[in-house]
Amino acid sequence: MNFEFDNNIPIYIQIVEQLKKFIISGTLVPGERLPSVRDLALQTKVNPNTMQKALAELEELKLIHTERTNGKFVTTNKKLIDKYKKEYAKELSNAYFSNMESMGFNKNETIEYLKNLGGEN
Amino acid sequence: MLKKLLKYDLQYIFKFIIIFYSLALFFGILTRIFLNIENSFVLNIIGQVCSGALISMIFSIIINNLMRLWVRFRTNFYGDESYLTHTLPIDKKTLYLSKIITAIVTLFVSIIVIFLTFFIAYGSNDFINMIKDMLLPIADAYNSTIIIILLAFFFILFLEFANILQCGFTGIILGHKKNNGKIGYSVLFGFITYIISQLFVIAIVLILALFNKDILNLIITNQMINISATKILIYMSIIMYTLVLIIGMIVNIKLFKKGINVD
Amino acid sequence: MELLECKKLNKSFGNKKILKNINLKISKGKVIGLLGKNGTGKSTLIKLINDLLTPTSGKVLIKGKEVGIDSKKIISYLPERTYLDKSMTVDKVIEFFEVFYDDFDSKKARKLLKDLDLDTTQKLSKMSKGMQEKVQLVLVMSRKAELYILDEPLGGVDPATRDYILETILNNFAENASVIISTHLISDVERILDEVIFIDKGEIVLQSNSDELRTKENGSIDEIFRRMFKC
Repeated sequence: MNFEFDNNIPIYIQIVEQLKKFIISGTLVPGERLPSVRDLALQTKVNPNTMQKALAELEELKLIHTERTNGKFVTTNKKLIDKYKKEYAKELSNAYFSNMESMGFNKNETIEYLKNLGGEN
Repeated sequence: MLKKLLKYDLQYIFKFIIIFYSLALFFGILTRIFLNIENSFVLNIIGQVCSGALISMIFSIIINNLMRLWVRFRTNFYGDESYLTHTLPIDKKTLYLSKIITAIVTLFVSIIVIFLTFFIAYGSNDFINMIKDMLLPIADAYNSTIIIILLAFFFILFLEFANILQCGFTGIILGHKKNNGKIGYSVLFGFITYIISQLFVIAIVLILALFNKDILNLIITNQMINISATKILIYMSIIMYTLVLIIGMIVNIKLFKKGINVD
Repeated sequence: MELLECKKLNKSFGNKKILKNINLKISKGKVIGLLGKNGTGKSTLIKLINDLLTPTSGKVLIKGKEVGIDSKKIISYLPERTYLDKSMTVDKVIEFFEVFYDDFDSKKARKLLKDLDLDTTQKLSKMSKGMQEKVQLVLVMSRKAELYILDEPLGGVDPATRDYILETILNNFAENASVIISTHLISDVERILDEVIFIDKGEIVLQSNSDELRTKENGSIDEIFRRMFKC
């Protein structure tokens, strides 16, 4: 797991986003046990408090859960992961469409463009 | 904690001054060997040279002992190392006590070493007899023994050095209160403290003179030897110096406890 | 009870007011940046907390008690200068810390020094200033303290060493302890800060949670600081 941070955005939000991506992409496998807060903090070179906050947020999103003595685990709820995956894909697509729109492509033209791009490769 | 501090303080002073002890002993032994060889002019000259070296070593012991104590007091309490010293979980009184006890112990040992090397160098029967001859009349007059006279002499010498040393500590403490880091003020205040301590002793002598006619006579007339008066004064000076030492210590601890302001 | 509290704290040298009416509370388990330009009173505040200066007025309380033996037992302080007896070897210094600090973990210190490839039989005077500073950092971080106070730990070192220093701090501070890092190099440390305190001209201008501040002012702490104290 590699983390890059932008000092302009609250660090814990960035950690949440990155861990979310790791779960969606399968870098973190469903049911996998997460390293301890302190170890995660060491790996990412952030303050343990920040990591704690980020993990609490992920727990709120139900993407991870705590087993009292064993530590924190990635959720095994595939549906939920899928849901976040779709959300994320939607986010990325929307961002892409709006970027293209600012260059004068409407939605259909953009889709057309993408298709052609696929053909070229 | 005091024990632990003492270990480091004593180590610091002795580690260095032991060189001078050994040199003094070395020259003491040489002096004895060469001066006792008869009928050799050259060897006698060497003996004289060793004797000179011994005397200079004896001065080095005292001067280095005092200087090293002062320098450590300053660097530990006001120099860069103060950042460590004053953040140790130890109270100011203990910090000070460690320094003064180190001073007393090292000075005591130094003076014993000085006496010892002196004796090694010159301690023949003739010499002992000479001292005996010199001191016997005094001892007789004081109605005491030569040993006690020597001991009194030893203690006065020791207390005097201890007092000089502590005045130096006071000087450093006051100097830093007045002006951070400047040695000039420390030396000045140390000197003033020393004068005050001496004035204090004189004042007590004068007060005693009011009650004791012999002492009064000693002061107002030019009569040099008044056995009973000098006898009182010898013992009194031991007591007074001890008193001065203790008062100085209490004052210094009080000053020190007010806290420090390091640069 | 707060871990550290300053109440109406003032410090003057002669007529010069260095710190003006400092009121401050720091709770446990936080990494706090004491941020300000050079010469704004950061070191003075830190020295007051460590009994190296006496307040002109006001109080410093550690766990409700004035500065003293009890506070020194739980505060591990890294000054901005080299402060060890340079005639000692590293081994001797480790022994010294072990003797005087009950919470000193000499095994940890030795391990960290080993990572630095350091010959511990060497005298401090034989080592470069940078190396001496690393030794000091290791000693300070090898205590299991409740409050670590690090005065300009990043001053005058190259970026690689900065990373080493920050990592050593993060990896080693005891659980539930707080860390105060004073610095003017904000961008290097802001990532690890829970809270920031801005200090300027002897006064505390701002104390805030760092993420809240980023959201509110919309920018990095470094930027916000620059905006606030434009010359």
